[in-house]
Amino acid sequence: MRKQWLNSGLPVLVGATLAASAALAQSVDTARIEAAGQNDWLTYHGSYKSYHYSPLAQINASNVGNLSVAWIHLPGRSTRGLQSMPLAADGVLYYSGSYSRVFALNGATGEVLWSFFPELDETLIARQTHSPYNRGVALGEGKVFVGTMDGRLFGLDAKSGKVLWETRLLDSQKLTVGFTGAPLYAKGSVIIGSQGGEWPGRGPIFAVDAATGKKKWEFLTVAGTDEAMKTWGNDSWRTGGGGGWMPGTYDSETNSVLWGTANPAPLYDWSGADFKTQGARPGDNLYTSSVIALDIDTGKLKSYHQELPHDAWDFDSAVGEFVMLERDGQKYVVHPNKGGFVFVYDRNLGVKNVWKLVENINFVKDIDKTGALIGRRDFAAGKVTDPLCPFIGGGVSWNSGSYSPKTGLYYKIGQEWCMTLDIQKTTPVTSPQAQLNIGADFKMAPPPGGEIYGHLDARDPITGAKKWEVRYPEPPLGSVLSTAGNLVFVPDSRGIIHAYDAETGAELWNHNNGTGHQGGIVSYSVGGKQYIAVAAGFGGMLADEYAPAFGGVYKSMPRDDGALVVFSLK
Amino acid sequence: MLRPDLKTMPAVLVVSLLCAVVARAQSATPAPENGTLDVEQVFAGTCGYCHSDGGRAAGKGPQLMDTARDDDFIRNRIKHGKQGAMPAFDGAFTDAQIDQIVKYIRALKPREG
Repeated sequence: MRKQWLNSGLPVLVGATLAASAALAQSVDTARIEAAGQNDWLTYHGSYKSYHYSPLAQINASNVGNLSVAWIHLPGRSTRGLQSMPLAADGVLYYSGSYSRVFALNGATGEVLWSFFPELDETLIARQTHSPYNRGVALGEGKVFVGTMDGRLFGLDAKSGKVLWETRLLDSQKLTVGFTGAPLYAKGSVIIGSQGGEWPGRGPIFAVDAATGKKKWEFLTVAGTDEAMKTWGNDSWRTGGGGGWMPGTYDSETNSVLWGTANPAPLYDWSGADFKTQGARPGDNLYTSSVIALDIDTGKLKSYHQELPHDAWDFDSAVGEFVMLERDGQKYVVHPNKGGFVFVYDRNLGVKNVWKLVENINFVKDIDKTGALIGRRDFAAGKVTDPLCPFIGGGVSWNSGSYSPKTGLYYKIGQEWCMTLDIQKTTPVTSPQAQLNIGADFKMAPPPGGEIYGHLDARDPITGAKKWEVRYPEPPLGSVLSTAGNLVFVPDSRGIIHAYDAETGAELWNHNNGTGHQGGIVSYSVGGKQYIAVAAGFGGMLADEYAPAFGGVYKSMPRDDGALVVFSLK
Repeated sequence: MLRPDLKTMPAVLVVSLLCAVVARAQSATPAPENGTLDVEQVFAGTCGYCHSDGGRAAGKGPQLMDTARDDDFIRNRIKHGKQGAMPAFDGAFTDAQIDQIVKYIRALKPREG
């Protein structure tokens, strides 16, 4: 393993001084992100393939017992925990905390090279619900890119943290929402999607010139084309929701940005079965709860698949990674949906298969292999008799899974929980400031005849065939990392980070980070040494449900604290 | 600024603003009469996202039914929020409307059945 690691990477970088390597950070470009590299983690999903996998194997199944804390960094002001995915380039680790605070750290020692604390509109942020966490930055062309809750995108000098440009993209004063998701850098553009969903807007996705900060294009996920406009009855597109609050990826072969879109508003509709003509938003509501392919140069829609036509359950498509695979000469894109199904596409977003990750699903009886929804439950106003499964937190959440090309397995967290529901007619409020539009009273509930739990599954990403599973009393909310060291890392909600044998699921090591995880985990190498970096710190829209639902350690767990914890071999 | 200063704006204008929004946004649902809030709808639209089951159970936010907090505390919390936990609604509701919300909370009872 070690031999492979030393010989397969960029030997000139192994042992290079930080001063020299920091200068190389300017060279992060599309080709380099596409290649992923040996020692770095250059974009949110690891590379455009979205594997969340490290080819490093210095830390492996035989020595992971010797893993210990190398250094810790406290970002401060971690309101609602620490949710971001760190990035690493040429020995420098970049990450963001709440309020879009950005840090560049020496990846070997944690020494702060620079920090950037944007001045934000705190009055606006005090009026937001899904705030003030930030889920990551992007790297490219010698810059670090970060979005803010008040609707801006910043381009920072990667060497100094100095602001090179700043672009306001959203009127957050009116729309209330901003940016919490990491941007994506590709081919000279920075792509970032707005929050939306239950917020009555039109959920734009933007491309900005990485060099100048000038806006290149904007795509509206709600009624962004003439065709889509027809799928929103009674002018409901005006307050349709949508958005794209997590980063997608870039496919150089098709020159497309692939992005998952959020749900329509209100979350729950009172249309009953006749949702095409009745209710709050009659029609299919394109392009919400969809995966879309946009031309990266123009923003024009090239193809799409709406995973849930007229989503009446808040099971959107913004949550999932786009895992780019090749098998038997066929190219696939694997994308999990919040409802607990995993969609398998070709590169033009034609559905090739759909499989169930989660056991407790009843919003539909099934989704067949063509993507058709079978036996969907559409509610009328009033109490829903049988609990809806999964819970509003989803069968999967926004934390990413991991695909190991070494084992051929996809490691993904599933969530088993349901909810009581009382559907109510609501009216969108858009002025003076937009307000949430839910459309129901609800409460978390256990699955029929069972208990709430979460699970890490190791599955074939194309067929869904399960090789092994590990269960947790509460669903883990952190992302998953697999490595060439035959390891899978899962940072759980109670605060334990676990390392499993990637082939068998046997637990090989764990460590208590002292608070719950709901952010990223990556691996990188500096000076010939492999590191694992994980964001610890709990709180936010799903984590906040844990104390009342589960008690125990969650009752005293802070929701305004966080730390970046970095491990290496002793 | 796009956000009007509600503290200095006559209450009648605030109410009419809200009504105008409601009327424009969705004709299928009747606008509230006399500028009063349909608090049950406000919970189903906004508050209930965190205060589960329309305020009857704890969720992201605490249970409101049978709360030991006094009216002033609740009024203040609705107006100014709590960092990282609850948004401030001083830009959304008038004092009179917040009083209506407090009244709704005080009247909350367990659901039948």
